[in-house]
Amino acid sequence: MSGDVERFLVVGAGLFVLGVVGFLTRRNLIMMILSAEMMLHGVSLTLVTFGRMHGTSEGQAFTIFTLTVAACEAGLALALVLNLYRKSHSLDIQLWSRLREPDLQSPADEGSGGTPLTERDPYKGLPKLTPAGRMPSDSEAVRNS
Amino acid sequence: MSEATKQLILWLIPAAPLASAIVTALLGPKLLRYKSHLPCWTAMAVSFVCSLTLLFSILPSAGTAEGSGGAAGGPQAVAVGYEWLKVGTIAVNIDLRADSMTAIMLCMVTGVSLLVAMFGSGYMHHDPGYPRFFAAVSLFVFSMTMLVLAGSFPLLFVFWEAVGLCSYLLIGFWFHKPAAAAAAKKAFVVNRIGDFGLIMGIFLIWQTFHTLNFTEIFGNTQALADADPARIKLICFCLFLGAMGKSAQFPLQVWLPDAMEGPTPVSALIHAATMVTAGVYLVARCTPLFVLAPDVQLVISGIGAATAAIAGITAVTQTDLKRVLAYSTVSQLGFMFMAMGCGAAGAELVTPAVTAGMFHLFTHAFFKALLFLAAGSVMHAMGDVIDMRRFSGLRHALPITHWTFLVGAAALAGVPLLAGFWSKDDILAVLGEASRSEAHGTYFRIIQLIATGTALLTAFYTFRAYFMTFWGPEKFPEEAGHHPHDASTVMAIPLGILAVCAALIGLIVGPTHLFAGTLQKIQGLTPVENHHLHWGVMAVSSVIAISGIAGAWFFYIASPGIPVALAKALQPLYQLSSRAFFLDEIFCVLIVAPLTGLASLCVVFDRFVIDGIVDGVGAIPKLISAAPRQLHNGVTSSYAGVMWLGVVVAVVTVLSFFQS
Repeated sequence: MSGDVERFLVVGAGLFVLGVVGFLTRRNLIMMILSAEMMLHGVSLTLVTFGRMHGTSEGQAFTIFTLTVAACEAGLALALVLNLYRKSHSLDIQLWSRLREPDLQSPADEGSGGTPLTERDPYKGLPKLTPAGRMPSDSEAVRNS
Repeated sequence: MSEATKQLILWLIPAAPLASAIVTALLGPKLLRYKSHLPCWTAMAVSFVCSLTLLFSILPSAGTAEGSGGAAGGPQAVAVGYEWLKVGTIAVNIDLRADSMTAIMLCMVTGVSLLVAMFGSGYMHHDPGYPRFFAAVSLFVFSMTMLVLAGSFPLLFVFWEAVGLCSYLLIGFWFHKPAAAAAAKKAFVVNRIGDFGLIMGIFLIWQTFHTLNFTEIFGNTQALADADPARIKLICFCLFLGAMGKSAQFPLQVWLPDAMEGPTPVSALIHAATMVTAGVYLVARCTPLFVLAPDVQLVISGIGAATAAIAGITAVTQTDLKRVLAYSTVSQLGFMFMAMGCGAAGAELVTPAVTAGMFHLFTHAFFKALLFLAAGSVMHAMGDVIDMRRFSGLRHALPITHWTFLVGAAALAGVPLLAGFWSKDDILAVLGEASRSEAHGTYFRIIQLIATGTALLTAFYTFRAYFMTFWGPEKFPEEAGHHPHDASTVMAIPLGILAVCAALIGLIVGPTHLFAGTLQKIQGLTPVENHHLHWGVMAVSSVIAISGIAGAWFFYIASPGIPVALAKALQPLYQLSSRAFFLDEIFCVLIVAPLTGLASLCVVFDRFVIDGIVDGVGAIPKLISAAPRQLHNGVTSSYAGVMWLGVVVAVVTVLSFFQS
């Protein structure tokens, strides 16, 4: 039994550390959310393990509760990501660094920073509308995309 | 007439112009526009009628002032207001107090204001600031009537400042002209010097008599007699300093000629007839104090004589018509002060001295307002050109202006039977009597000589201006257009009324003892019954006036080459006169330049010391934050990493703490 516990804990810790590393190294917003979820599930696994070890159900109840909250959080986060994407047409988090000290050079600016907005085609990669009915205006097209 | 009605009339005198000022200021720019003179006219008329009622109906039936020492106090009317402030033992009430001197001043002020407001509506015709002009004039009349009606020193001081403010607003009426803005500032600053003296005097009065009410101070002969003579001397000197600033006496007279930058009706109303005489009024009002300080009275006479002579000499060479009149105003104010100081020669001379000064103030208001308005009419016709060298021979083109100006000039010169003749005679007679006294005979003989000489100069420069403007070959400046137009009806009526006043008012109230008899009922004066005419003085001053006029005629009509040749021959003297004794330059070097130097020092101190301290304090947070702000680099991962490390550190710390 105790060996089982250790293995579960190692898997939980591994999930958590993988999440942390992913969160700290990725620049893609969705990948960062996935990493955060991974950390959460590492913790959930640990909670269930300890519940099993003590023979009580608090751990499982707690986990179910956490899953519910995590679902809400994921919904919110994805909504935010969607809005950020609509503004910048990119999932690169480094585009959102306007609150830094203005005179500091960010290490992320070197190399492949986010391409400036003006050089992009905002409609590229969007599904093509059937050419029928009224021609949507630019703002409408962006809002409906 | 019931008590309430009397009080109402007394309150109406200042309230009507105030209401007009408020109405014009609020409704003028949008609603009234070029009808803005209507509230002003109405208010002036109401005030004038109320003032006349006060003089002829209320005062003769009013009770006498109650002086605790039993001093002779004439009839006075008091309108009780409310307690304005009470600090410790100082209680200042907003009370109006009118005695015969107040009533005379009020009639003069409101009457001249009414005429000037009429003239102004023609003169300011189509000026974009039309409503502003009438709002400021109404405010001025309110302040001036309150200044005269004030029953205590603090109230007097408040409105003393208020008339200064109105003067500032109206001198700088065309504020987009740099000269007008500078003149307004100069008048304001120079007046502050005098006002400092006045408020010091008021403080000293409070310290000495523990009251600031006129009736209580002047009525309490016991306290006046007991007071320390040195203290009284100081008080009187301080009060006179205030009068010097407001009434443009040497060496503070520099602001008045520059004040001519304002619209001409304003020059007539404020800088000739009413506000500048406030200093004379103050000295007359405080006669019971000045009687106790003969030394200060000597100073007053001396300053008056110096001012009169300097301004008279300056006026002779001015080429700006309004400046001639301005220097003449300064000179006549000097005459008034000369008379005011004669009480030093003997107690029996105090009443005639004050009467003569106030009488000259009264007549001067009419003929000088007339002269200014006529000059304004010339200016209006000549397209705002006022330099006498650029026009001449206007008597056919502007007949109304010509005749009214002639009456005013003759009255100012002291032509027999006109207004200025009687009042100037009174002053010369008082000076003559003072020079016969034992105490200061020689001193007053010199002053009398100066006064006589200045009277000659007055006649000369007045008629110089008259001849240069209205005689000689007909010449118009190009600004006037081809057909200069004479005064319109609304301008001609005030000119006519003032001309009649300037001609007759001296004859009506002077030799008949009407003015003196009314004035001498106030506190501090003892009515003189045996009024007699000074035939000798009259003869002398008639000769002086005629010879001055003849001199002007000789120099500027008969042989016009002589003045130019004289000016060339006596270049230093000519410069001295035309540049007003270099007073402006002297002040610039002695006062303005050191102050400017001090100001530049302060700028350096401010820029390098004060700013250095402030910037130094501001640099401290920047210095402290230099290291931590490196973390704030905009990389989300690094924020998350720092947070994660922080949590690890916190957890490890907590765990090790619980384990140990």
